[in-house]
Amino acid sequence: MKLSEISENIKIAFEAMSVNKLRSLLASLGVVIGISFVILMGWVLSGLDQALEDTFNIIGTDMLYIDKWDWAGGRNWKKVRQRKNITYNQATEFCEKIKNAELAIPNAREFGYRIKYKNEEFQGMTFIGTKWEHSLTPAGATFIGRHFTQFEDDIGSNVIVLGYKVNQALMVEGDPLGQYVKIEGRKFLVIGVIKKQGTMLFDFVDNQCFMPIKSFQSVFGKSGRSVSIAIKAGSINNLDEVRAESEGLMRQIRNIKPGEENDFSINETKAFESTVEVLRLSVWSVGIGMTVLSFLVGIIGIMNIMFVSVTERTKEIGIRKAVGAKKRTIWMQFIIEAAILSFVGAIIAFIGCSALVYLVATFLPKFVPETAFLSPVLPYELLLIASFVSIFVGMLAGLIPAVRGANLDPVEALRREN
Amino acid sequence: MDLNEENKNGKPIIDIEHIAKIYQMGSEFVHAIRDITLKIYKNDYLAIMGPSGSGKSTLMNIIGCLDTPTKGKYLFKDMDVSEMTDNDLASIRNKEIGFVFQTFNLLARSSSLKNVELPLIYAGVGKSERDDRAMKAMENVGLADRVNHKPNELSGGQRQRVAIARALVTEPSIILADEPTGNLDSKTGLEIMNLFNELWKAGNTIIVVTHEEEVARFAKRIIKLRDGLIENDSFNHHQRITNDTSTTSSVTNQ
Ligand SMILES: Nc1ncnc2c1ncn2[C@@H]1O[C@H](COP(=O)(O)OP(=O)(O)OP(=O)(O)O)[C@@H](O)[C@H]1O
Ligand SMILES: [Mg+2]
Repeated sequence: MKLSEISENIKIAFEAMSVNKLRSLLASLGVVIGISFVILMGWVLSGLDQALEDTFNIIGTDMLYIDKWDWAGGRNWKKVRQRKNITYNQATEFCEKIKNAELAIPNAREFGYRIKYKNEEFQGMTFIGTKWEHSLTPAGATFIGRHFTQFEDDIGSNVIVLGYKVNQALMVEGDPLGQYVKIEGRKFLVIGVIKKQGTMLFDFVDNQCFMPIKSFQSVFGKSGRSVSIAIKAGSINNLDEVRAESEGLMRQIRNIKPGEENDFSINETKAFESTVEVLRLSVWSVGIGMTVLSFLVGIIGIMNIMFVSVTERTKEIGIRKAVGAKKRTIWMQFIIEAAILSFVGAIIAFIGCSALVYLVATFLPKFVPETAFLSPVLPYELLLIASFVSIFVGMLAGLIPAVRGANLDPVEALRREN
Repeated sequence: MDLNEENKNGKPIIDIEHIAKIYQMGSEFVHAIRDITLKIYKNDYLAIMGPSGSGKSTLMNIIGCLDTPTKGKYLFKDMDVSEMTDNDLASIRNKEIGFVFQTFNLLARSSSLKNVELPLIYAGVGKSERDDRAMKAMENVGLADRVNHKPNELSGGQRQRVAIARALVTEPSIILADEPTGNLDSKTGLEIMNLFNELWKAGNTIIVVTHEEEVARFAKRIIKLRDGLIENDSFNHHQRITNDTSTTSSVTNQ
């Protein structure tokens, strides 16, 4: 195929489209909608992937969490609820005895409490009593200030490390370090703020505040809750060994007889993969049906307009053939026209979606915080995908009309009036 | 009189033997061409005449490789047309044939220069050479100042000149004109015939289909068709030859 023919055909396609702008636009409407679905699906899915990755980064891929609760959720909900709490003593015993882990820290947690700063009060806070080693885990990295020290931990100082959002809410502008907050009537010194970590899956982490576990117990009481244990294996390779040891050790501490089921769960980041997988699947199943449907409409729309185009330009085809256009030249002329028609539809879709995505990602999270994982810009890969898909769809839609045009008998075609 | 004997300047460009073209209309067969044998040599100037429906256009389309005969043999420059693929035929039309139609058949949305360039695009000629050659063809038909006009901005005679420029631009072996003056008034028609006359004198081979004796008078040889057969094939002893090089003013001098 000669270059002059291809560039000629592209020019013809744009000419033909500019003559019938509105008609071309309507013809590509199906493609616009179909490509929009592809783009929006890709956008949500890539947001989910990012959220998953962020979550891994917070939790740490080499981390295990022993808990009464099972992160994977669902399955044995009733059974899980009937489990006995993991007591503080059991957790401490575990942390002292485990050998292969790099770190093991008890975490006691209380939900739905209030925090007071000056005259402002905030509700729905989560407080976590933990050990100083929490600062060595990904979840304990501070943004400003510092985590509490081993000494503060040992004596049970009333110091607190705020979650990112807690800090934002309390001290909108000022420096939080050195300020005092009140929890259940007790004063705590703010010594640091945890890095922003929230993702869709783990949004609440930014609302948590950390304090030495002794201080925690003196505020919220010693018993009556289940304590979880965070274990850092040190590396992913070490994970299986640490998991096995943890299970054995915990069974021993909890006096579980051989053959009996565990009455605790060992959670890890894998649990989130399955959660995301479920979300991903539901996005797919909703999206793919609509996408296929709108592409069908798109293909029919373009095919239809191309048939009209071939009919309207029968005389032109005759003229071109008379001066030496080959079948494949005519064929290509219409295939290119259909592809460009569809491609323009994709560009319109991409521009429209870019605006939509920007608006949604900017404003929706203000009302629905769970959607904060959505990015305000479309990944550029989506532009490539949309281009390829639309060109493919256009060529597919143009195929039959193009073949019909190419196979026209030149003598017949020239006889036409128009 | 056998004109083929007279033309001894080499092999014929077109060598047609006993061709027929039969159309099927439902259960009926239409014999557009029954049996025609014809040789055309370089620098021939042939007029094909005959009543409506006698097969003139059909013969022209076959000669121009737009159509293929149902029966018989057609050699174009010694190549057997019946064995050619669609691509080969397109290539012959592109390089060897220049068509001129009664209804001009120009692309309405393109400028006249663009129309003239079209065969060169399909021949794969590069942009700058294309422009040069199309420009020269436009000069040859006296329309150098109308290159940017679209067909609907030109008179009928000018449109036909653009069509002739398009037919000439590839320097084809033969120019086929099917009633080129049919849509023009007699004065403009004569201008077009003068142009063909010039082209013939410059060495081109021309076939013109026409109803009009006035037009046929310009040809060197006149063929009369009837019912798909050649009724008469004779040398034109009264060939009208003009001397002007200026194509537009020539009519008034006659
Ligand atoms: N595609 C076709 N199908 C059926 N019959 C056809 C077809 N094309 C031409 N014919 C018939 O073949 C015969 C010759 O047609 P052609 O067009 O060659 O005549 P013509 O001599 O050019 O006539 P005119 O002077 O009116 O242009 C006519 O009877 C016509 O009806
Ligand atoms: Mg005719």
